[in-house]
Amino acid sequence: MAHQNVIAMILAGGQGSRLGVLTEFLAKPAVPFGSRYRIIDFPLSNCSNSGIEAVGVLTQYQPLQLNSYIGNGHPWDLDRNDGGTYILPPYISQEGSDWYLGTANSIYQNIPFIDSFGPKQVVILSGDHVYKMDYSKMVKAHTDIGADATIAVIEVPWEETERFGIMNTDKNKRITEFEEKPAHAKSNLASMGVYCFDWPSLRRCLIQDEADPDSKNDFGHNIIPKMLAEGLYLHAYTFNGYWKDVGTVKSLWDTNMDVLDKPDEIDLHDDSWTIYSKNPQLPSHYFGPDAVAERIAISDGAEVHGEVRHSIISVGVMIEEGAIVEDSIIMPGAIVKSGSVLKKCIVGMNTVIESSVRITPETHDLCSFLNEKLCEDGISVIGQDLIIHKGAKICGNSMIGPQDAVTHPHIVSEMPSRYSY
Amino acid sequence: MLVNAMGLILADNQRVKLGPLSEPRALSAMPFAGRFRIIDFLLSNMVNSGIKRVGVIALTRYKSLMDHLGTGASWDLDRMNQGLYLLPPYINPLTRSSDRSDLSSIIDYIESGSQDYVVITDCNLVMNTLYNDILDQHLDSGAAITVMYNHDAYEYGIPNISLTLDEDERVTDVLVDMQNPPSDISAINVAVIRRDLLLSLLEDARSRGVTDFTFVRIMEYYKQLDVRGCEHKGGIFRINSMANYFKASMGLFDDELRHELFSRQNPIYTKVKNKQPCLVESGSRVKNVLASDGCIIQGDVENCVLFRGVTIGKGAKLRNSVIFQDTQISNDVNLNYVVIDKDSVVKMGVKLLGHPGFPVVIGKGSIV
Repeated sequence: MAHQNVIAMILAGGQGSRLGVLTEFLAKPAVPFGSRYRIIDFPLSNCSNSGIEAVGVLTQYQPLQLNSYIGNGHPWDLDRNDGGTYILPPYISQEGSDWYLGTANSIYQNIPFIDSFGPKQVVILSGDHVYKMDYSKMVKAHTDIGADATIAVIEVPWEETERFGIMNTDKNKRITEFEEKPAHAKSNLASMGVYCFDWPSLRRCLIQDEADPDSKNDFGHNIIPKMLAEGLYLHAYTFNGYWKDVGTVKSLWDTNMDVLDKPDEIDLHDDSWTIYSKNPQLPSHYFGPDAVAERIAISDGAEVHGEVRHSIISVGVMIEEGAIVEDSIIMPGAIVKSGSVLKKCIVGMNTVIESSVRITPETHDLCSFLNEKLCEDGISVIGQDLIIHKGAKICGNSMIGPQDAVTHPHIVSEMPSRYSY
Repeated sequence: MLVNAMGLILADNQRVKLGPLSEPRALSAMPFAGRFRIIDFLLSNMVNSGIKRVGVIALTRYKSLMDHLGTGASWDLDRMNQGLYLLPPYINPLTRSSDRSDLSSIIDYIESGSQDYVVITDCNLVMNTLYNDILDQHLDSGAAITVMYNHDAYEYGIPNISLTLDEDERVTDVLVDMQNPPSDISAINVAVIRRDLLLSLLEDARSRGVTDFTFVRIMEYYKQLDVRGCEHKGGIFRINSMANYFKASMGLFDDELRHELFSRQNPIYTKVKNKQPCLVESGSRVKNVLASDGCIIQGDVENCVLFRGVTIGKGAKLRNSVIFQDTQISNDVNLNYVVIDKDSVVKMGVKLLGHPGFPVVIGKGSIV
């Protein structure tokens, strides 16, 4: 393959179990976001806009949707003669087959892929963050300093430091210590899960780490501490801008609402740093004669005939006359029929909410689907390809998936056929 | 599935004038329905019918058309073999005149194809249809040319090609631009013809000094050849005049028509742009509005078509209007029966009122 100075590897194999039913059939990076995007559009668009021309996407968990979404990388301008996007699932070799065991192991298994480009640096990214970042600036800072590894960090509020991997640095931003989720943090610089490594250094560390039977083969737990222990130069690159991890129901909901509430921070309108997405080839969206729409984001093929306030309406969604949708995220292809009231709901792809259904934090009729482990703040989640039957009243903090069609067939059914966006 | 036909699109029609909207672009590049151009319907119908080789005859003002078509990738027409062929005119740089070679590029394109039939479409048609029926009928009837028609003649006015048909749907008379045609049968400018017959007709025309190739010219062969009609029963918008264009845009608010035009089985493809989702902000009112990605709406909008990237300020009141791509409508603007071309700015407090049959039309890049 042609030589590339910098290549990117996107870790997109995680299950995203804290999103519950939303990731039952698809990997977290393929979860719809912000009316017309999937989460992986952000790292892919960042790569494309940063001038990185070879991108490996490591997939493992439920890869079907993700693979078909990424295709040949054309929507992100990553279909190149030399380089472009490569989907990298685990594979069988003569020594046997291995699933990707940890983030570091997944890169280790693809050493031949990376070697084939002969890169100087490898940028490692997560497939589940919403942010706009110019990786080329980070790579430049990395090479100017002559670091072995550079880790992008963002200042987080001190009270939240215990949720993040925290980097302690000296005055030159050289990392002196890494603490995973510290109870008493010494710094508020949190790792964003965006790394730039000199490939020869990383390659050597990956091989050593693989030989260590006690290692969890994870970048945060093993590779970074090992590099620090060896005395390698690890630099903290401070990122100023919008960055959100969308790993939980609450953070997914919050981040979607930022599209409405903080449009200047998330800044999807910036033509110089476009976030690309696969185009669904649908007509313009339509507001009917009785539509009410306030503070919403809406995309191609959607039709609003009812009342929608402070919500994300994705491509191909239908909100029928007389339906009321508030503070909700309606994912691609879902239908909300007349007389239904949804408040603080996340409705999965292609799901049909039949008429006169009520799912709001104020409803207390039926609480069989309550899932306070994953849902909070009254946010309910309805999985993809389901039918919620007419007249169902469901309380807040509920999570409904295909398994509920077995236990509560009078309330939930599975969609007979799946037409996917 | 593959069909034994190639496509030929006449990308401009000099007989149709849409005022200032026609100045910067060929008719086929005319924006329609928020995120499309007329040629999207023509190309998608071909591609959805299984046609893999499409020639687009550009006459003039084709920069906008070429920008839009690119490699043809949006319609899956960027193929190793076949695909999209742009056929601009050959102009002799020494004489600045066309040297009788304009038909040559068309002849070359048709000669180099391997299919036995050619589907020719004009550029004023907005519909979602498959050409397989007309192809089948053409084969069964043994006609030399088969042309699509419907019973709409009175509705669409001129320019118009009115047909008289006998009981075998054979064309017995063709009347062009007649004010009150004797029959209600009007040609939809889609025709099927054998490739070798088309070639011989074109070569004959070239040798007689003919340089243009129009649908009227094809229809005039009814005197010497077996030309038959094939009825189209679905919905259609003919874009023949500014009044028609405006009426067709307002016709998109009909749920049934809109759903037929944008069917899930046969999508209408267009060039991809990556705008953010449309934002409808608090205090706005939207009723009967077709809006597109990248729009930011803060005003009161009813019966309007908004193309990509249109912004509408606070206190603005829009009724019965069509606003093209990236146009800014400032605060407190009042519009009724207005069509505004792309990249324009309507400044604060401006009031523009047109009439249903005669909308106010503002040209590209204007500042009002």
